[in-house]
Amino acid sequence: MSPGAGTRQGWGFVAPALLWTAAFFAAPFALMVWLSLSRLEGRAVVPGPGLDNYVRFFTEPSLLRGLVVSLEITAVVTVVSVALAYPLAAIIAFRVPKRWQRAVLVLAILPFWTSYVVRSYAWLLVLGQGGVVNAALMGLGITDAPLQLSATRLATVTGFVHFFVMLLTLTIYANLVQLSPNYARAAADLGAGRVATFVHVILPLTLPGVVTGAFLTFVLCMGDYITPQILGGNTELTLPQLIMMQLGRRGDFPMASAMAVILMAVVSLAYLACARWLRVERT
Amino acid sequence: MTLRSRAVMASTALAGLALAAPAAAQSLNALVWCDHADPELIRPFEEAHGVRVNLREYEGTAAGLAILDQSRPGDWDVLVIDAVDVGRAVDLGLLAPLPADALPTGDFFPDLVMEDLNTRDGQVFAVTEKFGYNTVSFNRAAVDADAMADMNSLFSGDFTGRIAIYDYYLPVLGMLALNEGIATADLDAEALERLRGPLMALRAEARLVGEVVASQTALATGEVDIVVGGGEWLTAVLAEENPDLDWTIPEQGALLWAQSIAVLADSANPDLALEFVKYIVSPEGQARLATSSCYWGMPANAAAAGHLSDEERAILRWDQQPEFLARAQRYPVPDADLDAAMQDLWIDMLQQ
Amino acid sequence: MTRAWRWLGWVYLALAFGFILLPVGVLVTFSFQDGRLPVPPFRGPSLRWYAEVLADRRLMAGLGNSLMVAGVSATVALGLGFLAAVGLARHQLPGAAVLRLVLIAPLTVSYLIIALGLLSLYNRAGVGLSLWTAGVGHVVINLPLCFAILYAAMGPHLRAAERAARDLGAGEAAVLWHVTAPMLAPALLAAWFLAFTFSWDEFIIAFLLTRFDVTLPVEIWALLRSGISPRANAIGSLVFLVSVVVVVAVQLIALRKARA
Repeated sequence: MSPGAGTRQGWGFVAPALLWTAAFFAAPFALMVWLSLSRLEGRAVVPGPGLDNYVRFFTEPSLLRGLVVSLEITAVVTVVSVALAYPLAAIIAFRVPKRWQRAVLVLAILPFWTSYVVRSYAWLLVLGQGGVVNAALMGLGITDAPLQLSATRLATVTGFVHFFVMLLTLTIYANLVQLSPNYARAAADLGAGRVATFVHVILPLTLPGVVTGAFLTFVLCMGDYITPQILGGNTELTLPQLIMMQLGRRGDFPMASAMAVILMAVVSLAYLACARWLRVERT
Repeated sequence: MTLRSRAVMASTALAGLALAAPAAAQSLNALVWCDHADPELIRPFEEAHGVRVNLREYEGTAAGLAILDQSRPGDWDVLVIDAVDVGRAVDLGLLAPLPADALPTGDFFPDLVMEDLNTRDGQVFAVTEKFGYNTVSFNRAAVDADAMADMNSLFSGDFTGRIAIYDYYLPVLGMLALNEGIATADLDAEALERLRGPLMALRAEARLVGEVVASQTALATGEVDIVVGGGEWLTAVLAEENPDLDWTIPEQGALLWAQSIAVLADSANPDLALEFVKYIVSPEGQARLATSSCYWGMPANAAAAGHLSDEERAILRWDQQPEFLARAQRYPVPDADLDAAMQDLWIDMLQQ
Repeated sequence: MTRAWRWLGWVYLALAFGFILLPVGVLVTFSFQDGRLPVPPFRGPSLRWYAEVLADRRLMAGLGNSLMVAGVSATVALGLGFLAAVGLARHQLPGAAVLRLVLIAPLTVSYLIIALGLLSLYNRAGVGLSLWTAGVGHVVINLPLCFAILYAAMGPHLRAAERAARDLGAGEAAVLWHVTAPMLAPALLAAWFLAFTFSWDEFIIAFLLTRFDVTLPVEIWALLRSGISPRANAIGSLVFLVSVVVVVAVQLIALRKARA
């Protein structure tokens, strides 16, 4: 096949996906940016360009707080989830006999198969005053009265961590099993103990995969609406909740769009940081 | 092909057509509150008219108007809306006039006909279908009923962390206004600022702010013992499970909520929509609506009494209604600016 | 020391599993609650909530809709992703790196933003909301996934086999159908399955972009907002049990194939 025909064919194959992405991802996003620069007056959208919405976001404390709350929660969730998932993935990869690894892994991500909405609701029941956790604590004599667990930030974080531990266990496990055992063997040959091998060999090798997983956690957590809505008890509102409020209660597309663009910007910053770090790591 | 097999094919095709026919039947699209989603309410109408009723639930007038904004003409046939907001919908040209003689408003509780809200220039645009109170719900086993007779006891510190606030800004701000001695009809921007202090104070005493189910769950599981903004609509549906869940109207008064039902001006099925409205305000429809699964409430049509059992009427406090109606005030009706200000105040409270 | 570490490892595993499986256990247990409140004390067991759920027309319709949207959107995403992966893997296109980035970009964007963008677009274009409009959104989130998986799976073995087939006189379509697709079968299956799962459980796009015919997560959300009851437990458990059965079945089939 001639090079020209080959390239034409290549474009032909790629075109459908590109067109789809352009029409249903890029165009809506551009529209959203345009809307964010517009204003809502009464029921009509008045085109900008104007930074009114952005100014309003950064000057109204209750709106800006939404971003802060989202960042705080996401940071905690990411750190805790990685800290809990890594050992779990490592145990499954290195301790569990090969025959059982797949089954154990499936068991570890089993709750993925319940609906996300229902799973968050289930946590509400578990953490409620009459729920299982409080019943257990009081039954064991650790507490006298039920603790306030649900409708708090703790509940939101717990719901998130539950989901992301499963996700990260999967990704970190995939990473760990790809590691050639030769690295560990070489380290042992050179006289390194178990701990030293882990800290100086395995951990650094898996770090890129962990960072990628952490980034995914960051994106998904920042943008999630359901878990804080069900478990947070409206004690504080995250950015997605505020966006939905602008949309649902006010029909204020421009403001909602501006907040969405801000959310996007924050995630992009995180992406750039991760990408820069990964590139540095590789050199 | 034999004659037999041809006959089989033909009859199968006919059967297929017959089965497909209902799928092409008329459908009615209704934008409603969650109490209309009860199959017990909808099925009799669907069966009687051979149609399918599609329901989309929403909470809060602002959300409903936002949905209508984002829809095309003909998308919706029927709308359930706060009675106090019918005027806004009429101003926006959303509602179709209804024939007054088709509606049994003569049998209604007189206070609930609400002509000033449901009609404009002599034309009827909506009809009240259900009402109740936004007041204080509480667990009698955990809270002293006498304390609940005074709204100020909520701020006393006796109930810190045991209160839930119903997540709807209009009635809760209205209740706080009553506590400050401001009539809901007099609520303006200046009066609203006076409510900021009490609202934040109430929030400090509250454990959570929740919508219908979150508040119900919290009260039912003992998470909280008091719901501000709750009423029979919150507790009646749980009465069977926990008879201790009660409600009362404090001496400062309470808010009267009333919902109306209307036909949309650009409906594609105006006749069917009117039939649906007539069904809802008929005594049988009213009785089913009053006891629907999402929340209970008093039917606007007093003739529904004949279709409700004694216990149901007792739970709804049917006989005490005249006294309650005398002590309750209607929802505030803010203009667009005041509405935005109220919502902003509400978000401030949530983010505190 | 080693034994202590080993023991600690198993304890950690047990605790982790306890944490992970706790909500599911509670969910399933209280779906059998004989009472209106799905909280302790447990009364029952009773099947009335399952009966209610199966008789609930809206829930069952939501279930059917979810299956349909997930199936169709996964297939479309797979098709588009497959073609794009083939195009980029086989040929040296100018700006290939940028193209890859553009195709993968939606992965880093929150679903809420994608939903909001599409909603704005539909509003402006006067397009009514439906399962189709939601399905379009699901293809947007699944396309990058399918593309990434398939692109990564296209190795030198594949290219060699394709070249061999072409040398033997096969046309492009024949090469794709008889060589590329079968060799990529595991990746194709994995991508489709993953896309199906993401669409099946997706909430915010389905919530914002549908009107009456909704998917199951949206229907469950409406259920949760309209009255506390163990019905939510029942439907959650049903979805869970059906999914488990499917996953186990797939595993068993895969195992049998591997052994054969």
